[in-house]
Amino acid sequence: MKRRDVLLGAATLAAPAIRSAQAQTHKTLVFGGSVPLTGAAAETGLNVNNGYLTATKYLNELLGGVEIGGEKYRIQLKLFDDASDPARATTLIQRQIDDGTDFFLGSFGSNIVLPTAAITERAHKPMVQTGGGSDAIFTRGFKYVFGMYPRATRQFAAAAALFKTLHPTPQSYSVIYTNDAFSKTAAEGVKLSCDAAGLKRLDTYELPQKPTDVSSVLGSVRSKTPDLLICVMHDEDSLLIARQMVATRTNVKLLFQGLGPQLASFRAALGKYSEALLCSTYWDESVPYKDKFFGNSKQFADYYHSKFTRPIAYHTAGAAACILTYILAMQAANSIDPKAVRDALAAADFETFYSRIKFTPQGDGDPLLMGGMVAQVQKGKLETVFPVAAKTADPIYPAPPWDKKA
Amino acid sequence: MRRHHLLLVLGCAALLAAGPLALPPFYVRVGQMMLYSAALGVAWTILGGFAGYASFGHAAFIGVGAFAAGLIEVQFATLPPFLALLMGLLTGGAVCAILAAAIAYPILRLRGTFFAIAMLGVSHVCAELNNNVDALQGSLGLNFPPVAPDSVAPEAFFYELYLFAGLAVLLIAWRIRQSRFGAGLLSIREDEDTARMLGVPTERYKRAAFIISAILTGMLGVIYAHSLGYITTDSVYRDDTNLNLVVFSLLGGMGTLFGPVIGAGLLVFITQVILGRLLDFHLFATGLLLVILVLAAPGGALGFIRGWRRRRVQVPAE
Amino acid sequence: MHLIAQTLVDGLVLGGIYALSAVGFSLIFGVLHVINLSHGILVLIGAYLALIFSQALQVDPLLTLPLVMAVLFAAGYPYQRFLIQRAVNQSGLGSMLLTFGVALMLQNVMIWLFSPDMKSITPGYAFASFRVAGLTFDAVRVSALVASLVLLSCLAMLLKFSALGRVIRATAQQTMAARLCGVNVPHVYALTFAVSAAFAGAAGIVIGIILPFSPADEALWTLNAFVVVVLGGVGSPAGALIGGLLLGIVSTLTAQYIGPAFPNVTMFLLLVIMLLVRPNGLLGNAFAASR
Repeated sequence: MKRRDVLLGAATLAAPAIRSAQAQTHKTLVFGGSVPLTGAAAETGLNVNNGYLTATKYLNELLGGVEIGGEKYRIQLKLFDDASDPARATTLIQRQIDDGTDFFLGSFGSNIVLPTAAITERAHKPMVQTGGGSDAIFTRGFKYVFGMYPRATRQFAAAAALFKTLHPTPQSYSVIYTNDAFSKTAAEGVKLSCDAAGLKRLDTYELPQKPTDVSSVLGSVRSKTPDLLICVMHDEDSLLIARQMVATRTNVKLLFQGLGPQLASFRAALGKYSEALLCSTYWDESVPYKDKFFGNSKQFADYYHSKFTRPIAYHTAGAAACILTYILAMQAANSIDPKAVRDALAAADFETFYSRIKFTPQGDGDPLLMGGMVAQVQKGKLETVFPVAAKTADPIYPAPPWDKKA
Repeated sequence: MRRHHLLLVLGCAALLAAGPLALPPFYVRVGQMMLYSAALGVAWTILGGFAGYASFGHAAFIGVGAFAAGLIEVQFATLPPFLALLMGLLTGGAVCAILAAAIAYPILRLRGTFFAIAMLGVSHVCAELNNNVDALQGSLGLNFPPVAPDSVAPEAFFYELYLFAGLAVLLIAWRIRQSRFGAGLLSIREDEDTARMLGVPTERYKRAAFIISAILTGMLGVIYAHSLGYITTDSVYRDDTNLNLVVFSLLGGMGTLFGPVIGAGLLVFITQVILGRLLDFHLFATGLLLVILVLAAPGGALGFIRGWRRRRVQVPAE
Repeated sequence: MHLIAQTLVDGLVLGGIYALSAVGFSLIFGVLHVINLSHGILVLIGAYLALIFSQALQVDPLLTLPLVMAVLFAAGYPYQRFLIQRAVNQSGLGSMLLTFGVALMLQNVMIWLFSPDMKSITPGYAFASFRVAGLTFDAVRVSALVASLVLLSCLAMLLKFSALGRVIRATAQQTMAARLCGVNVPHVYALTFAVSAAFAGAAGIVIGIILPFSPADEALWTLNAFVVVVLGGVGSPAGALIGGLLLGIVSTLTAQYIGPAFPNVTMFLLLVIMLLVRPNGLLGNAFAASR
């Protein structure tokens, strides 16, 4: 965190106190919650925090507050550092509930989000969060907890839905993943979604956390070739696999790499061989959604860059969208009563610059609308091919074999 | 702890038990943290304070206990919650006992800082195995069904549970301290080699202290996991827990029975209540507190009070 | 055969870097009998300083070495003399907790100054590699290894031949006798700490060019240093080197042949076995000979 960002953050947090004179005409709307600003998750925690700050500052300063049920409100954030410690997070969330905070934003990490959500749930206060995707959060019958992503095992649903629309319909798939928590969870999701979509699973390959050579795995892929090869791992490992596939001429009809092709550097490293690779993308500055606050993603990003020097991340946009979602729900309910807002959130079908917002009955993001997008490299550029609402090109299937890629 | 001390403790406990009736929920949660921390501190001190084997890795037992309980409870999902908790407690305690017994012989040959850091290593290894071995579900996380009855607020339920557990741990520690075994542990702390020469079965004593301490810590970990409802490796294997257990005793008074209780109460109050609202400053403040503590009150709060009393008594004599 | 050779070479390269990262810790442990839990933070400060200096001066990160070492030397002296020394007279736990407290404070300060993000230093030769006898060598790792070996030799010579080295050794071996001979013991302690801090900073540079780093990494480097010292022996650069190389080889062999998740497990098993068989490490305590 640059010094300036800290000061800016402090200024934003202190602002309502300084402007107590104005509070006569403006009521305040308090959002509580925690973010991890120290400890292992501090990097993402800072991105999330900056997202909250950006939305708050924009709504207060540029729009002069928000209007709900005929009253003008200024937004006030009351966040604390939970240091990814669940004991600290639960105790301090309770303090905010005792203090009368009605609306909560989420921390980062399911092991923090779930224990805190259990407390806000019991107090019947809504929580809208970007940081907890574990299925456990959404299978407990919580009524007041909403997630900006689909639960972990459904995060591949969007891609599986795309596979079903391809022609001729792919019949089989194999999945390769590295042995780390992120990739493992994602691979679980791939298997669930693809099996549910009626695809036949040929093989599952687990690689070490930092693979250095995948020739043996590719050998068995060649002897038992699936229509789709799905790789879930980090960028650099995806590159390793793609390179070795080219070198060994291992061809499949479609290669899906969860992370990797969305990076320009990745596409540059593979050159013409990156053609027709598929990947997941979450928010970036070019997504086509609109809202009445920021206008669109480009304007959100521009405003962010005018306030922060830190590069923008999709967590930042997701966090800002949490606040916008709240405001839209409050305006729809015409009230800031927690129960009424909860009902409006449950019924939500809004558009924000981040994505369309619609929750499942269990509270996680709709797997098709909020499950990220699928993009394909076409002529060296990344084109969004799914969902239909954000589509910039039709998917190419089957992909040409490596030696036919021009 | 003399007889009137015991009465005092029971009186305090009765008073504390009424806490949730009078306090707002936040302070019940703070109290819950204090009781949990104090109980852990006393369990730690059976080995670290009495025998002088200061462990920097007791979070290993919190984690192993919690995961052992969670994995077994999933197998018996139909049991009523109270019985499930009981089974979890027994399993967690048993697995910790086995782990402690297995590593006791090599690790207790180490002394002082070597033992301390070797235990830190144990906690890191347990965390990594837990995280990387699929069957243990450390990275995906474990669910614990709610055990508090619907009519009782969960924070009050766990407050009373920790109070009960804390009293049990305190009673066990007190009994140990009063016994021949406890005297043997103190002699190990003062001079292990001499104690052995004088016929104290030092090996057996310190191994027993290690295992008892591990079992109690593991069982507390089981309760902690239930109070959270969902844990991953990062929730329970925490380096700040590892070090806080030492700090509790140092803050309150090393080697004493009530030192960790006072230390835990003070530290939780400072970090949660006073420093709780700080956004990106509390790590610094906690560090500063440690530095001041070491420089200003090396004997802990009890040592400070005793020193002050002694000085006051000595003044007329001079 | 080829795979095992490559794994061994990778392990040796890694080991040299571990050795340098631990030597400062080892010296403080050997001379002052203090477990410096802020060691990892000193290493990270070195890495961040190298990042800042190499960007500001537009030079290769390894060339910032004298500057970084000077800064840490200057900071290490008062840190020991005015802070740690006050806790040394108490039990071993006092100095451990004090240095831990300082580590927490500095970690927080680094988060303010540098953000909690991963940072990395990228010298011009970051992506270069060369092959000798069928084995691949990473240019960055090899230069890091060379820098480590040179620095370790310098420290060994400093301790062996210089006047300062003689006083440090004398103080470590017979504190009382050294004091009687007119050695200003607190001053020597502080100088020893300053030298150790400077070498921790140097290790930070070397680590910075091969691995990404963030403020939360500090505990890792403290723990690594402890393991290296237990394996090799306390107080000497040679002990650190042996311990470091052993640790490096065990890490890469385990990762290759047992599983990528298990280097720390085998490392710890090795540690326990070592403590059982040879509690003072392979080379023993460099200063214990005359006790």
